[in-house]
Amino acid sequence: METTEWELIRKCQKGEVAAYEELAAKYYRRVFMVILGMVHHRDDAMEVAQETFYRAFKNIRRFKGGSNFYTWVYRIAVNLAIDFQRRQKRSLMDLKENMDEVVVDAETSSGDPFREINDRRLGEKLLHAINELTPDHKAVIVMRAVEGLSYKEIGRIMECSEGTIMSRLHYARKKLQEKLGTDL
Amino acid sequence: MRDCEAIKKSLGAWLDGELDAAQAAEIQLHVQGCASCSDEKGRLERLDFSLKRLLETNASQIDFKTFWAGVSQRIAADVSWSTRAMDWVRAVFFTPRLKWAVSATVVVLVAVLSLDQFFPGWRGNGQTNMASVESIDGHGFNVALLREAKTKTTVIWLFENQESEDETPTESASGDTAF
Repeated sequence: METTEWELIRKCQKGEVAAYEELAAKYYRRVFMVILGMVHHRDDAMEVAQETFYRAFKNIRRFKGGSNFYTWVYRIAVNLAIDFQRRQKRSLMDLKENMDEVVVDAETSSGDPFREINDRRLGEKLLHAINELTPDHKAVIVMRAVEGLSYKEIGRIMECSEGTIMSRLHYARKKLQEKLGTDL
Repeated sequence: MRDCEAIKKSLGAWLDGELDAAQAAEIQLHVQGCASCSDEKGRLERLDFSLKRLLETNASQIDFKTFWAGVSQRIAADVSWSTRAMDWVRAVFFTPRLKWAVSATVVVLVAVLSLDQFFPGWRGNGQTNMASVESIDGHGFNVALLREAKTKTTVIWLFENQESEDETPTESASGDTAF
């Protein structure tokens, strides 16, 4: 771990909110991305991400530096996102609107109209396909594909073996490929 | 040599760099010579790329100020009165300079209170200029003791109980008194 990051953590452990703000600024996007991949709705993802960072601050005295700070935060994020999905009972219409919102936002970053149409179609299908996965499968594919975390790191976050992660990833990718068909 | 089905099962782990060198070399060799597995590899890469791009684009639009406002609000709301009180106690008593001040105050207080033990006369032997009077009741007499510290004089004053006196209080009051 970088010395500066560890220094920030020590300050946070003494209750310095300003130091925690620096840490949060470094990781909030990455954490948000993982959560968004799991809960799909941007407002929900924001809510879960904020709760993640609040809980991490509340419990930061327990962080001993045995793992990377982001691994520790991801564990909180993934657990909260999984809990959130289990609690959430959104209607299909609501879910459809949420997905459209995410896809439209993704589209705006491209300058090529043809690519935008393809991206939009693929994005919509991809989000529908991901939503059909179980929370555990969503978590592994998002952490691997988006974050590029190793199986060992994902295993630590999900508290299971590397073999289980490999198997979940294989299953999740296969399911997504089936759903996306020729669009991929 | 593994067949295409077995290779396809390991393609994801291979792309993730999670296989050992021997397995990775075997898969690489197979993919180079197999159109179906090479196509599968391309699909897997596109899947990861599309997912990453979709989420990254959305995350890039999240403003830190908005995000942090929600976090700091939660942190502030969590600080209960007991935590605030503890923080105050910590700030007042456990800052390095005040630690010494508190310890010094305690030592001085203990020393002042113990002075009488070690230096009995430091406050004038505990005497004052005031005379003290004590009253004792015994053997049908009332005994009054008067101690005057300044002149070191003790006066013992015996007198009969008022209740057993006759009906002429003025006489008896003066007549029964004795020194």
